[in-house]
Amino acid sequence: MARKQKKKTPNGKWEQARTILEMRDVHAAYHGDISILNGLSIAVNENCITGIIGPNGAGKSTALKTMYGFLHPSKGTIALDGRDISNLPPYDMMANGIAFVPQNRSLFNDLSVEDNLRLGCWQFRSDRRKVTRELEKVYGQFPILKEKRSDLAGSLSGGQQRFVELGRALVVEPKIIMLDEPTAMIAPKISREIYDFIATLPGQGITVVLVDQNVRQCVNVSDYIYILDLGRNRGEGTAATFAHDEHLKEMVADWLDYQID
Amino acid sequence: MISEVLLWNAIIGGVVFGAVYALIGCSLNVLAGVLRVINFAHGEFVIAGSFFSYALLNSFDIHPLVALPICAAAFFFAGIGLYYLLVPRLAHSDEPETASFLLMFGVSLMAVSVITWIFEADIRPMNFSFEPINVTLFKIPDAYGPGRDGRVLVPTARLVALVVNLGLIAALTWFFYRTLPGKALRATTMNREAVQIVGINIHRLSAMAFGLATALAGITGVLLALVVPSIDPNGGPDIALVGFIVIVLGGLGHPVGALFAGIIFGFVEQFSNLLLPQAAAQMVGFIILVAVIFVRPEGLFGKGQLK
Repeated sequence: MARKQKKKTPNGKWEQARTILEMRDVHAAYHGDISILNGLSIAVNENCITGIIGPNGAGKSTALKTMYGFLHPSKGTIALDGRDISNLPPYDMMANGIAFVPQNRSLFNDLSVEDNLRLGCWQFRSDRRKVTRELEKVYGQFPILKEKRSDLAGSLSGGQQRFVELGRALVVEPKIIMLDEPTAMIAPKISREIYDFIATLPGQGITVVLVDQNVRQCVNVSDYIYILDLGRNRGEGTAATFAHDEHLKEMVADWLDYQID
Repeated sequence: MISEVLLWNAIIGGVVFGAVYALIGCSLNVLAGVLRVINFAHGEFVIAGSFFSYALLNSFDIHPLVALPICAAAFFFAGIGLYYLLVPRLAHSDEPETASFLLMFGVSLMAVSVITWIFEADIRPMNFSFEPINVTLFKIPDAYGPGRDGRVLVPTARLVALVVNLGLIAALTWFFYRTLPGKALRATTMNREAVQIVGINIHRLSAMAFGLATALAGITGVLLALVVPSIDPNGGPDIALVGFIVIVLGGLGHPVGALFAGIIFGFVEQFSNLLLPQAAAQMVGFIILVAVIFVRPEGLFGKGQLK
């Protein structure tokens, strides 16, 4: 209950913000045969948190992977600031200001924490001063990482590894960060820390796209929520809309086994 | 009773050949780890390096030591060209490893044909010289009876090859463990998807890796020509097999593992030549290979899972 009160629901915030990233009627498939996205449309507004929820296999992770260029849409477009980025490869996304923390572990386990962060700075690796500055910023945000900077990333706890991944995504000062289940398999206390941290990102000028199985957390933190099923849109609205719209409430209760009150 | 001199010769031979094997293993590891390409044609690349040095020696009188950097540069760019010609197509395959094996087998067959077409199928001698021809490492007093000292000799060419070889391995280790591009290559072995997430152009990095591995193969060929100054155009498969034994022994994708495994294999080979009948000696390497696969499939130094 305490968390609910803490949550800011600036109802007008979403409506007033401009759309920065937009997926329009996207169809995508793995290896050309198994179709996962079947005409999905998602708009992401600047400096907001856009939540994506849905049952298992709804295509949430695939939606992020497609936005990040690991899959290319067979139909439809993905636009960043109105520019088509549908066919960019994943390694060009960072240069375009988009960072990604995928669901499965994305660290280099046999490299030290610091080396992981330094590889995150690959884009500007020749600018030593900037690299040092960005590393210090990450260490300031996650002091535990400074302590463990020389440890192998693989030896860290699940929560600490998440911190490294978040830190590594933020060193490039992205405009948009995409998070896929940031607290899956992570202890509740650390989960809360991570959610509190995510909530601060829009204030730093970072737009968040959040995919989460944890509907309660996602609805609490997000400014706007999309519900996916079978690779299509099934519903959307601000957190406030969800609280009032009986149809949406019912849908969430039915599919996701979660009661919005 | 084996004479002390022979024993020392086997030890020195083990180190000299072992270092060459380690270099073969290192470059195969780069390809297997970064590109997931099992390079069946690696032996032919090495032989091509030997012939490159042979051609420079016979046509322009360029000493193999001078040929070394020329060969490295030429093979580096040839490797990058070959990468863009061949490897991106493998990505369309459902099983890139298997496809790469077949593809590189084809490349190997073509390479042998091209080499024998240009240089003919004869074994070629390398006519270079070092002054002095041999270096006496030390004397063993009364090795052949009272008053007849034994001398432990090593051909100067082998000694030079060993020094160059060890220097290269040290440089490679430094590159992989101390520089950011080296760490990026190792990172690719650990997590291919994440390398792209941090904004590394995986195709450019892979092309570099292929160039590096090909350059190493060429260098290995020149060094091999120094160690054994006769070049067999059909020797490729033997070299590739030694390389595979070394990377299985050392752990796939483990750069330092390949170094130790190369030396171990060098010793095993030299000592089995010394102690066992010739026919039996040739089996020992493969017995080790099979034994490692049974007992410790991740290799002596690998700790991860082998796919």
